[in-house]
Amino acid sequence: MRITVDAKHWKVLPDLRELFAHRDLFLTLAIRDLKVRYAQTVLGLAWAVVQPLATLIIMSLIFGRAVQVETGNVPYPLFAIVGISAWSYFAFVLKESGGSIIGAQEIVRKIYFPRLIIPLSKAAVGLMDLLVALLMMIALFVWYGVSPSAHLIFAPLYLVLIIVVALGTGIWISALSIRFRDLQHVVPFMIQFGLFITPIAYPASKITASVPHWVQVMYFLNPMAGVVEGWRWSILGLGDPGGLCILSLVSGAFLFVTSFIYFRSMERVVADLV
Amino acid sequence: MSNRMVTVEGLGKRYKLGGPTGFDPRARMSENLKRITGGKREDFWAVRDVSFTLDRGEAVGIIGRNGAGKSTLLKMLSRITVPTEGRFTIDGHVSSLLEVGTGFHPELSGRENIFLNGTILGMRRAEVRRKYDEIVDFSGVQKFIDTPVKHYSSGQKVRLAFAVAAHLEPEVMIIDEVLAVGDVEFQRKCLGKMKDVANSGRTILFVSHNMSAINSLCSRCVLLDAGRVEAMGEPGAITSQYLNKNNDELTGEKDLSSSPISSDGAGRITHLRWTNTNGKVIDHAQVTQAFDLEVDFEIAERGYKPQPVALVYNSKGEQAFMTFPGEGNHPTEPGRYRASLHFPANLFNEDTYYVSFWFCTWLPHKVHLVLENAISIQVLDDLESPTRAPSYATVTGMLRPKFQWDIAQL
Repeated sequence: MRITVDAKHWKVLPDLRELFAHRDLFLTLAIRDLKVRYAQTVLGLAWAVVQPLATLIIMSLIFGRAVQVETGNVPYPLFAIVGISAWSYFAFVLKESGGSIIGAQEIVRKIYFPRLIIPLSKAAVGLMDLLVALLMMIALFVWYGVSPSAHLIFAPLYLVLIIVVALGTGIWISALSIRFRDLQHVVPFMIQFGLFITPIAYPASKITASVPHWVQVMYFLNPMAGVVEGWRWSILGLGDPGGLCILSLVSGAFLFVTSFIYFRSMERVVADLV
Repeated sequence: MSNRMVTVEGLGKRYKLGGPTGFDPRARMSENLKRITGGKREDFWAVRDVSFTLDRGEAVGIIGRNGAGKSTLLKMLSRITVPTEGRFTIDGHVSSLLEVGTGFHPELSGRENIFLNGTILGMRRAEVRRKYDEIVDFSGVQKFIDTPVKHYSSGQKVRLAFAVAAHLEPEVMIIDEVLAVGDVEFQRKCLGKMKDVANSGRTILFVSHNMSAINSLCSRCVLLDAGRVEAMGEPGAITSQYLNKNNDELTGEKDLSSSPISSDGAGRITHLRWTNTNGKVIDHAQVTQAFDLEVDFEIAERGYKPQPVALVYNSKGEQAFMTFPGEGNHPTEPGRYRASLHFPANLFNEDTYYVSFWFCTWLPHKVHLVLENAISIQVLDDLESPTRAPSYATVTGMLRPKFQWDIAQL
């Protein structure tokens, strides 16, 4: 193996081969986070269930019972858990991957490895929560005796899209927060705000039916809007994954690709900045 | 196949100060900047125009005083930070130990941390698994291997961390001052392990303040000054060039004359200096030499009877002793005074000693001033020292007094 570092030559895209060579580190960091996460907590692993369950109950009470959001013949809790599963993963990656480089500054200052491993390993930890939410979803299907939609074969595609959008956003934030620590304070706000402007608790048709076209365009520039709508369409058969949802896919793809490029540019200076 | 392992050409690293938000220049660096550029320019070259090569199996030591660019150079070679100019090529796998124990997680057990730390340092999981028993053996913490590391003593943590690091098998190893850790017994173990590594044909780049470690481990030595290579060659010659360089920025003397009077008005310490028996200011001494520590102080207010109290620590921060003039042996009238503290030959061991001062009145007891790590001195071991073991083995201990031994036949 030969390593050459030249001040004049710098690759714009991450070196995938090098990334793959560090897969063991990726694995170890993810295992570490999983182990540490529930160490010395009373409920331990049960927390992975309690959190989405509490969100589901509150949402069902407020939007299902009190506000009575129209969800066709799908029971509201089932409608909600589909959105919650996507959103809680997105929120997790935003929070954990977003703050991961700052959180790992001790290591970053002392050891070299592709820095992308850090936010990626955090995002992998979130898959655990996603899995729990999916199991809850299956349980609700059984409970209500409902069968999933015929579009179910598209569900894996949308699952990948959820991960892609979450990663793109998380990697952007992790790189930006190296220079702008303020982002640490903005992320909780983004998560809170995003919950309202993404069709999690309500169908996107609520928006398209009530606001002018340019507001709809703005709404679907949020990549999660179209992806969640499509995810729900693939599982429950509700809504329309075409139309403006395509806009979300484009903005999501843009976010994903640019995140790697920006991250790479920050990788160059990260050890001098953190 | 060529034996050239490392080629460094014109390597340089510039730090910009007062740059974009988020930039966090370390205090020492901005100090350096002010000193070097007069506080005007915004650029600071931590390393500039450094070129050298290493062949397979060579161990090269890098020395230089604090801020000379040693750590920045190693950081570039271990790819933590990117050079501003120049280039380097390394043939083979590199491991850098800029600080042992990087990435240890307090909540995880020793076992889990071995895997974590090992993979962070570039080992494969399978590799860690294979060497696991050896690592645990070397660390000497078998009993606690399933206990979370947060319950370890700092010594145990360091042992475990070094044990992992010592089992890396890179072709090129970059080490920064790992010998400063652990107790003497463990240090010797580490030094032995590093010698093994050097003898096994691996290439080593080694930064240290420990001149005897450089001399015994390295085949070549590079002296850095203000980011540039000042000298390169045989370690013995380079280390003595470094030590003998009459450099007032070493801590042989410390001018505190601009410091304020203590807040209670009792007085202050104005000047500290090490001198040899001829009265010349020194920053290092041989184990076999006597030397003095001169303390200039000022009593400002009648009523207090302050005197300097010296607390002497070794380089691991362990206190060796505390000494002071005592009651009835010091002036009480306002004025300026010089106290001379005479250290006999054959008292200190080979180490760097740090002296902190209290400026205090004993009766009634009141500490007026505290000067932490006010001044330091490097004590070197003469090869012919009478207290040295005949085999040239390391003489352990915080001090090395020369005692009289009488042996008679029974």
